[in-house]
Amino acid sequence: MISVNRKIFVILIVLSGYCSAQNSLKDQFDFAKSLFDQEKYFDAITEFKRLLFFDKENLYGFDANLMIGLSYKAGAKYNDALKYFSLSEMHTKNDEQFFNASILSARTNILRRTTLQSEKILNSLLANSKYDNRKKEIKYWLGWNYIFSNQWEEASEIFSEENLDTTLADICKSVVDDLYNENFAKYSSYIFPGFGQFYTGEYLNGLISLGWNVLFGYLTINSFAEERVFDGIMIANFLWLRFYGGNTRNAEKFAKEKNLIVTNNALDWLQYNFKGSKP
Amino acid sequence: MKIFIIQIIISTVVLAQSVDFNSPENIKLFADYLFCDHDYLRAIDEYEKYLNFFDNDTIRFKIALAFSLMDEHTNALKNFNKLSEASQLYQLSQIEELKSFFKLKLFPQLSSKVSEIHNLKSEYSLSADKILSISYLLNNYSIPAEKLFLAPFNDQEKPIVQNFYLRKTNPDYKSEILAGVYSAIIPGLGKIYTENYSDGITAFLITGIFSYLAYTNFEHRHLTRAWIFTVAGAGFYAGNIYGSVASAQIFNVKINFDFINDVNSFIEAKNYFIPEYDFCK
Repeated sequence: MISVNRKIFVILIVLSGYCSAQNSLKDQFDFAKSLFDQEKYFDAITEFKRLLFFDKENLYGFDANLMIGLSYKAGAKYNDALKYFSLSEMHTKNDEQFFNASILSARTNILRRTTLQSEKILNSLLANSKYDNRKKEIKYWLGWNYIFSNQWEEASEIFSEENLDTTLADICKSVVDDLYNENFAKYSSYIFPGFGQFYTGEYLNGLISLGWNVLFGYLTINSFAEERVFDGIMIANFLWLRFYGGNTRNAEKFAKEKNLIVTNNALDWLQYNFKGSKP
Repeated sequence: MKIFIIQIIISTVVLAQSVDFNSPENIKLFADYLFCDHDYLRAIDEYEKYLNFFDNDTIRFKIALAFSLMDEHTNALKNFNKLSEASQLYQLSQIEELKSFFKLKLFPQLSSKVSEIHNLKSEYSLSADKILSISYLLNNYSIPAEKLFLAPFNDQEKPIVQNFYLRKTNPDYKSEILAGVYSAIIPGLGKIYTENYSDGITAFLITGIFSYLAYTNFEHRHLTRAWIFTVAGAGFYAGNIYGSVASAQIFNVKINFDFINDVNSFIEAKNYFIPEYDFCK
């Protein structure tokens, strides 16, 4: 009887030793987490790295790497953040953890404007039947991915699906309505020089463009009419075509500039006023 | 009694199993890991924590080296300076200081540090001379005679450094005035002089054609077209003269840029003539 008691006693002490080691790791994790919660990201990263260094059994491989990634993300160090999100993916113990790490990778790629990469991640999650119950969340981030890849119409459509987010859908729709059609601006100027500038509200530029084209067009035709073919070719080549081509490029440039202002205003509003989840 | 002894032993094991993250040994282990992981800023913090427990020259050297590897040479110099002459790493710290002076372009300090290294009879005296020679390529001080300049380098390095010397003493610049004058005499010639051949030929043809068209339109009393061709031709002519001067300036900037780039690449590849450390092996 005494012998059995001794054995139990020894086992209990060994177990308590194991627990004690684990407790110190847990304390370290909690300490690092508290730094993260206080937004002391540099220190938080140090402490999570310290935890990982001494965590020989990789008990915190997922959580600590994920938190390091989040800290780097909060400090806008997206490349480093992605490295640690990938490391956390390698230490996942269940589908839920893998999902969370993948979503964070996708969100970081959205912020880093590597939207093709985030689209790939999100589409692979969407295609995985394990995450059928998380489709709404995946589509939500896919919508944000469209916003950051300047595909506002697609973003509007995806946010409208099953009323995913009506606020975002409305914003994207209003951006689509405000955007100038760059191709229309360009090709309308091919047909009528200066028209693309008028379309984008650049009336003076439109008038100047029209004026140059009328002048050099007239001189070219006049040269041919007076049978001075070489003069006509030179004026057409070096003056008229130069202003004609410039006019179309100019119209397209104005449309792009105006569109950039519209989209930047929308992104600005989303950054400072939108209350929902953001990448 | 036996149970008591077992209890003592086991409780010691228990204590040993819990990790003391802030023990000096663990701080140093973690700092070394960070240093080798190129996370120098955190490594410096950890090494400084360790120094609160023990003074250690290697740690001081590593702190300075970490600053140097982050290209924070002012801080690197401050920390290399903290090493005492008795330290085994003192001579290395001196040559590292040279590297920092070189990177900070503090050439007078670099020169006097080379003298100090010679006075120490350091094993790195030759490396110091090499850095000093290379520094002459990047500053505006008068460069020593070729023989003296090349003296510290070995046979493998000599042809490369000799080429640098020739490029420094006799740079292949193009005269901006000459480029402009050439283009004023024959449109496009200034561009050809600055090795911008396609631009030169285009400028020659366009100015020639516009001049001819202006002449022939004046001759046939087509005054509107004649003036348009005159203005266009004059614009191309004047633009070509200005362009030739700019082309010469760009050519010279490129010569300087390539030279500085080549010299820096060479000294980087040679690791500033400093031996490799085995801290992370």
